[in-house]
Amino acid sequence: MDFTSIFNGYALGLLGAGLAAALACSGSALGTGYAGQAGAGLVSEDPSKFGKAMILQVIPGTQGLYGFVIWFLAFNKLVPGMDIAQGWQIFGACLPIGIGGLISGAAQGKVAASSINILAKKPDDWSKGMILCITVEFYAILSLLASFMMLNGISI
Amino acid sequence: MAIMKMKRLRLMLVRSRKEEVLRELAKLGCVEFSELEGELQESGLSDQVKRESSALMALKAKQASLEHAVELLNQYAPVKGKLLEAKPELSNETLLDASGIDEALEKAREIAALDERVRRDAAEETRLRGSIESLTPWKELDMPLETEGTERTSVLLGSISARIPLGQVQAALAEASEEAELFAVSEDKNAHYVLVLCMREALTAVQECLRGFGFTAAALSGLKGTAKQCIDSAGQSLKDLARERAELGAQIADQAVFRDDLKLAADQVCTQVSLAEAEEKLYGTESVVVLEGWCPAEREEGLSRLFERYDCAWDTRDPTEEEYPDVPVKLKNNALTNALNMVTNMYSLPAYNGVDPNPLMAPFFILFYGLMMADMGYGILMIAAALVALKKLKPREGSLSFCQILLYCGISTFIMGALTGGLFGDLPYQLVHMFNPGSTWQGLPYLFNPLAEGGAEPVLYGAMVLGFIQLNTGMVINFVKKKRRGQLASAIFEEGSLWIILLGGVLFLLPKLGLLAIPEKIGLVILIVGVVCLLFGAGREAKGFGKVTAAIGCVYNTVTGWFGDILSYSRIMALMLAGSVVGQVFNSIAAMPSAKGVTVFSIIAFLVIFLIGHALNFALNLLGCFVHDLRLQCLEYFGKFYEDGGRPFNPLRLRTKYARPREN
Repeated sequence: MDFTSIFNGYALGLLGAGLAAALACSGSALGTGYAGQAGAGLVSEDPSKFGKAMILQVIPGTQGLYGFVIWFLAFNKLVPGMDIAQGWQIFGACLPIGIGGLISGAAQGKVAASSINILAKKPDDWSKGMILCITVEFYAILSLLASFMMLNGISI
Repeated sequence: MAIMKMKRLRLMLVRSRKEEVLRELAKLGCVEFSELEGELQESGLSDQVKRESSALMALKAKQASLEHAVELLNQYAPVKGKLLEAKPELSNETLLDASGIDEALEKAREIAALDERVRRDAAEETRLRGSIESLTPWKELDMPLETEGTERTSVLLGSISARIPLGQVQAALAEASEEAELFAVSEDKNAHYVLVLCMREALTAVQECLRGFGFTAAALSGLKGTAKQCIDSAGQSLKDLARERAELGAQIADQAVFRDDLKLAADQVCTQVSLAEAEEKLYGTESVVVLEGWCPAEREEGLSRLFERYDCAWDTRDPTEEEYPDVPVKLKNNALTNALNMVTNMYSLPAYNGVDPNPLMAPFFILFYGLMMADMGYGILMIAAALVALKKLKPREGSLSFCQILLYCGISTFIMGALTGGLFGDLPYQLVHMFNPGSTWQGLPYLFNPLAEGGAEPVLYGAMVLGFIQLNTGMVINFVKKKRRGQLASAIFEEGSLWIILLGGVLFLLPKLGLLAIPEKIGLVILIVGVVCLLFGAGREAKGFGKVTAAIGCVYNTVTGWFGDILSYSRIMALMLAGSVVGQVFNSIAAMPSAKGVTVFSIIAFLVIFLIGHALNFALNLLGCFVHDLRLQCLEYFGKFYEDGGRPFNPLRLRTKYARPREN
């Protein structure tokens, strides 16, 4: 078995696509995890706030979705036997949403967890907490777009 | 479509008519009462004139008790209401009527008493369960628990940590006293439960020995009979309590027929609370009561008609400039600009002498929202939701603006969707290719589409051009505002010089790009003139070295500020693109099971994936587009002209919780 049959473009592309999904999903998992813990604490005191706590919890869930979108698009582009240069291109295009999704998901989760405090103490103003969360979301969207436009520019 | 002109109202009336006038004012709902504390002290009359007292605390307690009773009824006998139902309407007379309140309070007290018994039972149940739990280890012991021993012997019941082998304890006991005996009753993963028998005279020695092993005496004092008997009787009591609790719950549920009476009384008391709150702001002597407050100028006539009927003296005047920060702000809106109240209220109301932002913001807000969402399918959903809510809920105030803005943004989303060829992402394209794989159809036609080949850049530049237009609109508004206030110089040096710079910049760049055949120098000269004006304007008010720092600061802020502001509008394109990418990906995933031929299963799979995916994408974009549109308006646009800090107008009116006052 020679080197290129192991280290080839297809494998690199798979690695990139996998990272896009795995890192972004990890970010969402961390984020929804933080928010979910805070939400569970609140619901144990006041079960009627479950619905709103859940909405705040799922806000950091979108990074995983974006990562999955890029995984899907990248995976559709991969063909066995593509050259290493093309593999690197796909790999590079997948990085923004992977890294951006990981970090923004975790960061957004922290904001969401704090927003659950708003829900507990000032229930009428909980929607403001939602707005604070969406500010972080924008950077996940930009990461998604960066990955998307780079992927679009690669011709296989 | 402007900020309502307010007038300062002063009113003196004879004490006997106080209540009647307050009620009439509440019906009109157009006077906000002010605190008079300061003015009174200045006038030196505070000895004769005293603050009015009211039964506010008692009323609030009544309100709480009625609302609590309604909550209890909802808890024990939930209403199966329709999902979307407008609150019932009550006439002013009904709301101001107090005849049924005492009866309702009596009912509320009964319901609360029943609930109190339920809670006492629940506490008793918890206690019994705890005691059953502590008795369970002794269940096998057929000795009455009150047994302390005989004439010569003592009995000890208790537990020893499970980690200590009992044999070790037995050996130690045998050493402490020959006649002492230890019986294991039961054990669980934490402890051995043991019975120790010993001679009375050896008791101290035995206890000493046991203490060394961490022996804890069982807390069973006061119990009679064997553990099994105790458990059985507690179990019986539990059953009785559960039955009693169910009966009490049913009794509370039986009171549900009075729910509407209770709600009505709660609203009537709520109205009385608002009257009492207003009353506490009044001052009076033995025979006269004084009030001061604000009322919209346009309602003055209605007030004068009211006051004519009573013995009272009153006058109104325009607020002075020093009073502006205290004047409450109410915006006068039409059907279009009312929708934007939601945005303005979320940010902050304008100052009394400021500009009403709603009409200035409405076209931009709605256009930008449509551009960001840009999907015919989502647009139709928004329009439908808004229309249903408007028809069924008959919303007022805050929720009315929400429904309106949803409607307008829905229409705009639909139009932009038509222009970008978006219908639930690329649903038509996917459907056609699913059923006819050989089709060469390229999807719906579009005017601009960021997903098309090379389509993203025009949209990006378009977004920034829109931003440029909005920022300039903001500057025009500011220019006009300053001119009206007589600050023409400031307007010319700040806004004017920026326009010169912008004009110069354009004339400088266009020839470079080969779009205009004039010498570059013209643009450059205009640019420099603009910068000099700006520098001069910035340094105008500063002195000495301050002129230099002020000028440098001004140029830095202007340049970075403008760059940042314009680039920020790229989010329009980013959200437009992100929404359609996610939608399209869901469509392609949904179409995957049909790739090898359309079957019943593949169509079901399509529907499920399609619905879940688009529900997610729709919900996320609905919120995301709103927040980012809000940001563009409040940060970039408002930054150019808006002065906030207005205090919302909060007049005395009939306040309710469950019903709402009928509009006259």
